[in-house]
Amino acid sequence: MTTTKPTMIEFRDVHKYYGDYHALRGITASIRAGEFFSLLGPSGCGKTTLLRTIAGFEGISSGAVLLDGKDMSNVPANKRPTNMVFQSYAIFPHLSVEENVGFGLRRDSRSAADKAKAVAEALEMVGLKGYGKRAAHALSGGQRQRVALARALILKPKVLLLDEPLSALDKKMREQMQVELIRLQRQVGITFVLVTHDQEEALVMSDRIAVMFEGEIAQLADPETLYRRPHSRKVADFIGTMNFLPAKILSEAANVVEVEAPGFGRFALDAGQCMGAATGQGASVGFRPETLTILFEGQQPTDRESMATVEEVVYYGDMTYYDVRLDGTEAPVRISMRNVFGRPVLDIKTRTRVAWSPGALVLFR
Amino acid sequence: MAQSNRSGLGRSEAASGLLLISPTAIYAILLLAAPLATVLIYSVLQGSQGQITWDFSLQNYYEVWTGPVYRAIMLRSLLVAMGVTLVTVLIAYPIAYFVSFHVEPSKKSIWLFLITIPFWTSYLIRVFLWKVILGYNGVINSGLMSIGIIDEPLTWINYNVGALIMTLAHAYAPFAILPIFVSLEKIDRSLLEAGQDLGESKLRTFWRVTLPLSMAGVIAAVMIVFIPTIGDYVTPDLIGGGKLPMIANMMEVQMLKVNDKPLGSAIAVSAMFIVALIALLFLFVNRRFLGVPK
Repeated sequence: MTTTKPTMIEFRDVHKYYGDYHALRGITASIRAGEFFSLLGPSGCGKTTLLRTIAGFEGISSGAVLLDGKDMSNVPANKRPTNMVFQSYAIFPHLSVEENVGFGLRRDSRSAADKAKAVAEALEMVGLKGYGKRAAHALSGGQRQRVALARALILKPKVLLLDEPLSALDKKMREQMQVELIRLQRQVGITFVLVTHDQEEALVMSDRIAVMFEGEIAQLADPETLYRRPHSRKVADFIGTMNFLPAKILSEAANVVEVEAPGFGRFALDAGQCMGAATGQGASVGFRPETLTILFEGQQPTDRESMATVEEVVYYGDMTYYDVRLDGTEAPVRISMRNVFGRPVLDIKTRTRVAWSPGALVLFR
Repeated sequence: MAQSNRSGLGRSEAASGLLLISPTAIYAILLLAAPLATVLIYSVLQGSQGQITWDFSLQNYYEVWTGPVYRAIMLRSLLVAMGVTLVTVLIAYPIAYFVSFHVEPSKKSIWLFLITIPFWTSYLIRVFLWKVILGYNGVINSGLMSIGIIDEPLTWINYNVGALIMTLAHAYAPFAILPIFVSLEKIDRSLLEAGQDLGESKLRTFWRVTLPLSMAGVIAAVMIVFIPTIGDYVTPDLIGGGKLPMIANMMEVQMLKVNDKPLGSAIAVSAMFIVALIALLFLFVNRRFLGVPK
């Protein structure tokens, strides 16, 4: 569906050095028009630097950044068709809410009345109707965020850049703003590029995500692919929780790999489950906590089952996390189970059957 | 029991509080409030040749506010103070801006340290230095004469308001740099990026963001420079050569030479009134920039 959309931002082998420090190491990627795109990675991975190269606040050492097909190398920040929501929101403290929102309209040739109308509409769009006369410094964190959004969107940029916009909000507010941002993005149809270190936030909001480590894109994919088929142990580890068990590759045919892993026994994986190139660290199988299920009395597995011992129980209300050790393995693996009424939470040291399916495993080499 | 304990504690708290502030309070009463009250009382009495008669009238004030000499001198004081303030702030702002925006954070403190170096010399010496530079037989005149550019010493470089302003501006520059620097330091740098992000050039962003946000510092600098310079007494004497008296010199003349303390006091109170009025005006303007909620 989105594949037919034209490219809005293109990075061509972008490198950035700060003195000796190699901050961006050959970024090549394209972001499509109208896409909600996230740059995800730990702090210091270069994601914010990459975002700032789009805005024009950061020059690049080599390569090219293209915006809507045009090379941006000689275009200063104030002439680019992008607007940014800053991490600190950067609300002008000496101006009122409406003066903040209308800040970028000075060059606009519309009449004062039309501009005022545009400001009022922008405020209404972000849910701040009637806040125009307020002093900016009297706003809460969530309201500042909305002002920053209105101030950027009123200029109808081709690309909206968001630099960790939700990191300063509390959990409830953050979840609410996530939903609102998605709604806004659908409503205005502008390309959104979000920088975040919060994998959950990226998964919830994005059409596609670029996971970055140490100045490089480790994997660029849609959230589901990223979650279910991570390219490397590192990506798998960064996005959600993944269990790893050492494995042995018995045979490798064109489409099928025969694998043996303690706790699981022998099973076959298809080529799509074998991720990335060999790293030399030995093979291991990975699986998400929710792909294993504890079998209670009388339940039959849909695919295969193994025996295990419960070693740790973490109760979360709606969920319970079990650390179980599969028979024949040394380290425990984490299983998450939705708590169902009438079914007890297991105790430590309980022997239990665990259901699993080879289709949910991935193999790293 | 508990009741009396509490009130006893309250009393002792008040007592210890009074004890703590008493050195400052005594100092302030003896050296600030009492002399001020004396000046106020003097100003409504009559005096001549060192004699003071307890004869209440506003005659002195009438003389000060209507006398053309006093008015001219007060106007000159205002003019000099405004000139000094203008020159000082215009010089100080770019320096403060440079240190805040273009000096590496680790080197800022050394820059501030260097800016305070003029304070290592006494104010008097700093003023006198300009006399040495600008004077009739000063560095500039003797230098220019020795290389044959001029035959006679230039007189327009000394003993005028321009020389007064130059001297005082130099003496007060660091006072102006520091508050402006502090206000610039407080500006969130992402605000400047936001200004550019919203389509404004660097110059326009300065005009619309940096300058308004640093106005609190500018006004503080204006007050810090304006108030002491309007009452300056040394510079008109040394640099003006006694030909360009300012209001403080008039007070000296009345108080010590003519020995008319009541008239001198009336000049002092009038000058204080004008300065207070101007300071209040600045304070009022500054409320806007300090972002006091309505």
